[in-house]
Amino acid sequence: MKASFEVIVVGAGHAGIEACLATSRLGLSTLLVTSNLDRIGYMSCNPSIGGLAKGHMVREIDIMGGQMGIAADKSCIQFKRLNSSRGPAVRGSRAQCDKHVYSDIQKQALSSQANLQILGQEVKRLILEKNICVGVVLADGSEVRAKAVIMTTGTFMNGVMHFGLKQISGGRIGDAASVGLSDQLLDFGFDVKRLKTGTPARLHKDSIDWSKTTPQYGDEKFYPFSHKSSRSFVLPQVACYLSNTTEKTHEIIRNNLDKSPMFCGVIEGTGPRYCPSIEDKITRFADRATHQTFLEPEGLNTDLIYLQGISTSLPEDVQLDFLKTIPGLENVKVVRYGYAVEYDFIEPTQIFHRLETRTIENLFLAGQINGTSGYEEAAAQGFIAGVNAAHKILNRDEFILGRDEAYMGVLIDDLVTKGTREPYRMFTSRAEHRLILREDNTLDRLSDIASKLGMISADSLDRMSRLKAERSQMVKALNENSIYPKPEVNQLVESLGSKPLTKPLTYAEFLRRPEVDFNFLRKLNFEFVDDVDVTDSVEIEVKYSGYVKKQIEIIEQTKKFEGFVLPSDLNYSLIKGLSAEEKDKLSRIKPRTLGQAERISGVNPSALQAIMIHLKAKKAKDPIEQGSSFERSEHIGNNS
Amino acid sequence: MIRDRNEDTICAISTPIGQGGISVIRISGPLAVQFSSNLIPKLKKASLESHKAYFSKLYDSQNNVIDEVLATYFENGRSFTGEEVVEISCHGSQFISQKILNLLMAEGCRLADRGEFTFRAFMNNKLDLVQAESVLSLIESQSEQSSRLALRQLEGHVSKIFSQIENELTWCLAHIEASIDFSTEGLDVVDHDTLVAKLKSLRVQLNKVVEGYSSGRLVKDGIKIVLFGEPNVGKSSLFNLLVQEDKAIVTEVAGTTRDIIEAQTQMGGVVYRVSDTAGLRDTSDQVELIGVQRTQVEANKADILVVVLSADQKDWGQTIQLSKNIEALSRLFVMNKVDLLKPSEIPEKKKILQGLLSPKDQENVILSSHLDSEARERVLQEARRLTSGAEFLNEAVISSARQFEGARYGLEMLDKSILDLEDNLGSEFVAMNLKEGLISIQKILGHVYDDQILDRVFKEFCLGK
Repeated sequence: MKASFEVIVVGAGHAGIEACLATSRLGLSTLLVTSNLDRIGYMSCNPSIGGLAKGHMVREIDIMGGQMGIAADKSCIQFKRLNSSRGPAVRGSRAQCDKHVYSDIQKQALSSQANLQILGQEVKRLILEKNICVGVVLADGSEVRAKAVIMTTGTFMNGVMHFGLKQISGGRIGDAASVGLSDQLLDFGFDVKRLKTGTPARLHKDSIDWSKTTPQYGDEKFYPFSHKSSRSFVLPQVACYLSNTTEKTHEIIRNNLDKSPMFCGVIEGTGPRYCPSIEDKITRFADRATHQTFLEPEGLNTDLIYLQGISTSLPEDVQLDFLKTIPGLENVKVVRYGYAVEYDFIEPTQIFHRLETRTIENLFLAGQINGTSGYEEAAAQGFIAGVNAAHKILNRDEFILGRDEAYMGVLIDDLVTKGTREPYRMFTSRAEHRLILREDNTLDRLSDIASKLGMISADSLDRMSRLKAERSQMVKALNENSIYPKPEVNQLVESLGSKPLTKPLTYAEFLRRPEVDFNFLRKLNFEFVDDVDVTDSVEIEVKYSGYVKKQIEIIEQTKKFEGFVLPSDLNYSLIKGLSAEEKDKLSRIKPRTLGQAERISGVNPSALQAIMIHLKAKKAKDPIEQGSSFERSEHIGNNS
Repeated sequence: MIRDRNEDTICAISTPIGQGGISVIRISGPLAVQFSSNLIPKLKKASLESHKAYFSKLYDSQNNVIDEVLATYFENGRSFTGEEVVEISCHGSQFISQKILNLLMAEGCRLADRGEFTFRAFMNNKLDLVQAESVLSLIESQSEQSSRLALRQLEGHVSKIFSQIENELTWCLAHIEASIDFSTEGLDVVDHDTLVAKLKSLRVQLNKVVEGYSSGRLVKDGIKIVLFGEPNVGKSSLFNLLVQEDKAIVTEVAGTTRDIIEAQTQMGGVVYRVSDTAGLRDTSDQVELIGVQRTQVEANKADILVVVLSADQKDWGQTIQLSKNIEALSRLFVMNKVDLLKPSEIPEKKKILQGLLSPKDQENVILSSHLDSEARERVLQEARRLTSGAEFLNEAVISSARQFEGARYGLEMLDKSILDLEDNLGSEFVAMNLKEGLISIQKILGHVYDDQILDRVFKEFCLGK
């Protein structure tokens, strides 16, 4: 093996995979180091990709040249569009995956990737020269040098697993914890904190009485995540099964809370509020007599069933007792019990938007190490960290997506601006501009950026520009052609359940009636390309154009603050109107813009006024002031 | 422009320009005591007690006594501005107060900008924006009613209502968001009907605030009365009667008044702003024609249009017809010169007039003559009744156009959300409008940052407030 690379990626989970593929696809020699070669792209918890707001990110990663979407499409064994009955912007795709197929696809992608070398070893330490990271020290003592290091260590840093009150060092069943790395960061002055996450038991499928559960089938219509996938499923589709906890389940859990490490204070890390353990659920929602659980197969050729919604860290005997009170699980055989993991993370306000740490140059962090939860959140960061590490080495502008461009932009801005106290999960409500951050318009939003990034093929780019052209053509046709209130037309309109026309309407106007959709227009002889890739986004764009327009106006208003760049060397302690808390937070986070400063919790509106006044006064005194070009550079998205 | 608050200490004369019994100079900032103690040696920081007044002589740098003053000390955090404050009450000659101000500035104190004291109070979280505006209203209030209104605003009554609406809107928004993002978790976050009911009751609250604006504004600015009618029906006599001053020239010649004449009067703690106008008639006189055009413009600004008719006038119909084109809150019909009629004819004439009016206006007829000293009271009382300006005073009422705009937009967004919710449109659309509404309410209170709003509020302030 070479003794030096351009980039080293530590960890081969969902963040590490995107990171190393991004750097190697951008032409940099990359070393991927993982302590367990068998667990590359492993789904440690639920066997699914996507979901509300997460599905959005998978599509965003894909359109820019990432990997997660392809693997999810190829391993999908049940597909669902969540919130399909709600508005178009909050629909999210979710694929349940065969987890072994998923990992295999990822391994294959890595092994066939040029410029990428994979090494099965543990990383012991970073090599630091003053405040610059120049490589890593491996478990065997050897050193590997690099221009940038991306750490994606997941739950492994000082990981401790809890089975009841029994504790075992490790980041995941079967994997040792990595000890030393976080101490090194701690010694360097990083704010290192603890988080907790958990996973439910895995059950043997033959021990379940399926007749007592309700089968849940996926959608017939498949909207693949990747722009490269076809609309037909690769693998056979299977059902999941719904059951629920009972009063008896809750009673057993309540009686054994003293054996739960969460409840007797053994675990100090904060758990995910939005993905609570069953102990949490019955305590917090004490009035609920039952909680639903989905029994999800982990794959086509496996006996393992994942028990969604029932993560727990109770002792094994208690787990078995309460599982048997769930209908269908009376004679259940547990293959692997649920457990909790506690691990170190770096408070993410200590990193820049480009995911490089503020204090150690050329060190990038992505995934759970930054306090997030979820495969998709991890992959999104891995991708951004990879691109930025590469761009830094290649002397290109830093790559930052705006909050109005992508959920990935929201994710990273939230993390580095607000930090997190619990495992951060993406929600649609975190995106204030979500009406234009939809799944259906991913390519409209990001294809120009993708083209500049240069990680997708010319064929894909061609197809994207063709789709965009067809979409705008269709919008034009809808706006330019009209239907007239002729008797035969009105008869048809009424028979289809809409009010008759009293004056001519353009097809676009007509489409804005709540009960009208494209099927309706088809019956009225409006001719169009019958390609859902075209029609989906056009229908939404036209039907809700009033709202979309307003959303764009709101974005324009926020641009004023987003465009107000704050000097990176601004000394907040000199600004008089600020409270001690505001000074502290602003000095630590160093917001890039006034808009970002506004989003820091605990920074009051009057503080922004004080900053503005201070800057105006300062500008009057010394009008010329320059920052480093890397700090100040505009991100790609805004240039388009 | 409001400047940086770097270290600096500001001062200004806080009482109105001109001679009064006393004059107050306010000094605010970290060096307020230090600067004042250079003029008033008796003020020694170590021994000062907050909210206590100290009587002493005030000297200039050559140790000449300038005045005997009362200096009141407010410690940092416990003053109007939230900073260390000294208020010097000196004798009310303009010369003395200006002299003291100059001495303070020579020490290094900076003359305060417009609204800067109140601005500092806002910045130090002593006031929200609504309260800051009420300071301005309080200072400028011209009547007992308007100062009571401003005081209620300063006490936070209006802020409380807006904060309450803000909280409720936030609750609704949070629940809509949760129902979107947790739709797969099998939780019943909030049901549709509960949400609609909640938003509708919120709408009622907000609507009340919006509707209260016109009366709030009337209390603050006074009721605008415009006299309107043909030439020589006695508008100017009525005007002089109303404002209790011989301000308008009264002659027998029709067309005497050619421009708008304005004056203020007060009754029962309410301010009335009365305008006399040129009589309406076809005229070839250029000057008079311009006067007639101005009458139209002025009449459109009226809260109460007082249509003046003369008892001996041949045809009232034309004037009444013209008055219908005027956009006033209400119209009041004054039959003037009833002294020209025999007392027995009066009820008959009144009936004829009422016959020409719409049912709504029939109640609003007042008889008057220049001999009748009680006519003034009748007209003003009627004007007040018609604007119902006084009725709202027991509730929190907004009086600033900025607050009104914010509340009105909030209401519009709330209406849209309710409509969309009832149409079963996607929750994300409902949420967008609701959030817009919420932000609008938050801007009223200054809970979200908007540089233009701050400028707008504080530029209205006069020096030293």
